[in-house]
Amino acid sequence: MPFAILTDTTKCIGCRQCVIACKKENGLAPDFPRRWDLEDGLSARNWTSIIDRPGGKYVRKQCRHCLEPACVSACPVGALEKTGLGAVIYDGRKCMGCRYCMMSCPFGIPRYDWDQTVPYIRKCIFCYSRISAGRQPACTEACPTQATIFGERANLLAIAHQRLREAPDRYLGKVWGETEVGGTAVLYISDIDLAFLTRGQELSSQPLPERTKPAMNAVPFAFLGVVSAMAAVNWIIERRMRLEREPEPPEENEGA
Amino acid sequence: MHRARLVKLILWLFTGLAVAVAAGRFLYGLGATTNLSDATPWGLWIGFDVLSGVALAAGGFIVTAIVYIFRFDEFRAVVRPAVLTAFLGYLAVVAGLVFDLGLPWNMWHLIIYWNPRSPLFEVGWCVMLYLTVLALEFLPVPAEEFSALARIRRALLRIRLPLVIIGIGLSTLHQSSLGSLFLLMPYHLDPLWYSPLLPVHFFVSAVGLGLMMVMFESHTTAWLYHRRPETPLLARFGAGARWVLLGYLALRLADLAWRNQLHHLWAAQWQTVMFWFEVTLMVIAPVLLLSIPVVRSSRAGQWITAGLAVAGVVVNRINVGGFMHTGRGYYLPSWTELAISCGVVSMAGLVFMFVVERFRVWERRPADPAAASEELPEADNAPRLWLGSPRAAAEAYSLAFVLAAALGFALLAPQPAESRGIPPTPARHARGNEELRIDGNLDGFGVTFRHSSHQDVAGGKDSCVTCHHMNLPRDRNTVCSECHRDMYLPSDAFRHDWHASASGAGLSCADCHPKGALRSRETARHCNDCHKDLIPEGSPIPVKSYRAIGYVQAMHQLCIGCHANLGEELTRCGACHHGLEDFIDLPEVSARRLERSGRRVVLPPY
Repeated sequence: MPFAILTDTTKCIGCRQCVIACKKENGLAPDFPRRWDLEDGLSARNWTSIIDRPGGKYVRKQCRHCLEPACVSACPVGALEKTGLGAVIYDGRKCMGCRYCMMSCPFGIPRYDWDQTVPYIRKCIFCYSRISAGRQPACTEACPTQATIFGERANLLAIAHQRLREAPDRYLGKVWGETEVGGTAVLYISDIDLAFLTRGQELSSQPLPERTKPAMNAVPFAFLGVVSAMAAVNWIIERRMRLEREPEPPEENEGA
Repeated sequence: MHRARLVKLILWLFTGLAVAVAAGRFLYGLGATTNLSDATPWGLWIGFDVLSGVALAAGGFIVTAIVYIFRFDEFRAVVRPAVLTAFLGYLAVVAGLVFDLGLPWNMWHLIIYWNPRSPLFEVGWCVMLYLTVLALEFLPVPAEEFSALARIRRALLRIRLPLVIIGIGLSTLHQSSLGSLFLLMPYHLDPLWYSPLLPVHFFVSAVGLGLMMVMFESHTTAWLYHRRPETPLLARFGAGARWVLLGYLALRLADLAWRNQLHHLWAAQWQTVMFWFEVTLMVIAPVLLLSIPVVRSSRAGQWITAGLAVAGVVVNRINVGGFMHTGRGYYLPSWTELAISCGVVSMAGLVFMFVVERFRVWERRPADPAAASEELPEADNAPRLWLGSPRAAAEAYSLAFVLAAALGFALLAPQPAESRGIPPTPARHARGNEELRIDGNLDGFGVTFRHSSHQDVAGGKDSCVTCHHMNLPRDRNTVCSECHRDMYLPSDAFRHDWHASASGAGLSCADCHPKGALRSRETARHCNDCHKDLIPEGSPIPVKSYRAIGYVQAMHQLCIGCHANLGEELTRCGACHHGLEDFIDLPEVSARRLERSGRRVVLPPY
């Protein structure tokens, strides 16, 4: 039963109670603007943020917990993991700090402890200890207007489509996160275009790990192919050379 | 031999600088010593040290394939230097990674934690294995000098062919898989570079570059040691490399055409310029030059051509590695990043020179550096003093190393750990009892601030440093919330010892903590069970914990956010911040408020 979060931007009043709850729940230190921050308000110490959009609209940004996460397939040591509950969680003890997950995330979510000498990747982990204990994440619990709600993904998708059906004038007729990059656990319905979350780009429904799959599947065959081709070529050439100088005794090879 | 010593001196300078910067990088962290950011997590170190390093070390597997597999025995002369270059190249890649990885001491986790779906996992394994193969391929050369190692040398020579074949297989895999890394970034990497065929692009360019790198390395070392380069042999490399490079360009263009991205080739954008710059350096110029027989068979022609192609591939790898990721933001490497990169290359160069001077890497070893000093002309006194004898040279190297390291430390020292940090406060100078209007928390709001009363409370005239930290750069003042902690911090007025002591409330444990349950805040009774008047009758605010919310949040979120129906009045800052409207609207203050929007909450941990 994969869980999900549905954020309805029309209900958000921008009070940032979710941000406070997140910081409290995860024990995140206070934050000042740093050189390495992006404009979206996320940082190693802010795992969710409220983005003010023109016209008094607020959009909450957080990890999308993709159904087929690029970051999980990118991590060479498996420090990131997509759990059965839907959360993409991080194990800092495995991490070696290559930051490939940051490069591969289509939403630009993972952030880094740039100011630390022992830095880790930081991102929303769907309050994994809470949801595995049967509670809801701190952010959805804190939301005073039910703008962001927690539940099973199938139920939340049904709720989202029901709201779109019941009030078509209130929303743009789209559930963000339903299909992008194979679907995400964090869903949005909105009255403003949310393409700014991906820098204006439309994401196709092809999951990103699918793109490296052909190359990675070819690896053993490429290795065996190259090795056997080289061995065969060498065998043929050696044999020809031996036949050419058949009468003479074979020479001792010189060093490397 | 003087050339070699002068070059060594320069390499020692770079090494010294890099050692100092490396110390800074591990003491202060990546943020303080690089220009990397959340927008551009990969920069020069990945693009140059890792991606280019691997590509430029491709000469090793190309040349061993040509000699040991295809049996072009006439190229034997370049095998040993090519394998040595490849080995040192891969060592440099690993060294570069040590600086780039956030937790380099966990690098070995690749061995125990597996994620076979990750291209980087595969690259890591291939590099580890290939480094071992290269070491075994090269080991017979130093082993020649030690009779004790004769048996090992013979054993290694016996397994040379399988080693070479495995090495070619591993190289094919990771040269191409470095391209696969970027297949995950279709929404970031510019369409001029992103392609499902990236692994093929990387592999083909590595083959072409391997050949050009052997050429470049051969001419450079020939110049260094006054050696006759293998020009006629290398001309045949050049002829071959031409077709590989042309094939690479054809592949890139056909790929662009197939993906309908050809229009990017003449778009007026920065990426197009970089594309043509890279392609000209890497393919067009070398192919044209190599097609002229005079250039191809001349020493200078080969050297310059190879240099251009090498530079072209470096540009290509840096572009793919981070520069051409549109929308990621602006990135230029910091001097520290450049220093580390130069230092890693310099160290590899020093090891290369050490090895070629002591072992039989070329058919004829360079003459002993010490013997050369006798051949120097008498008049040439100054360099002789400096680098004439091996001892003087060693002294000069040590001096260069120490001076460069000192310079590095000196340049590093004034850098604060946070680069942007807190902007300076626009408060005016305190004059007597003047009331200041300040944005003390740097969040874009204003308060009236009585300097004199604060001074009195803090301890009189000597208390300036309490707020004005003279030792901080740009005189950063303490923010208001540093002392007025309840502005942001959820405050907790509950005093446990007073409640428990006989002279205080005199309660027993069980009065608040129910029996059997864990004694914690969560399980204890709520304050308003006893303090009935703590919360007004009918208040919608539930008591969830014992903490009161900081009053800035209480004001700026709960009231304004939820009770907008109290009227327009409350939504204007001036409704409470009397007489401060114009201050709050000052460009620098309102700009800060805008910058903070989305991150207004500054909540220290409890």
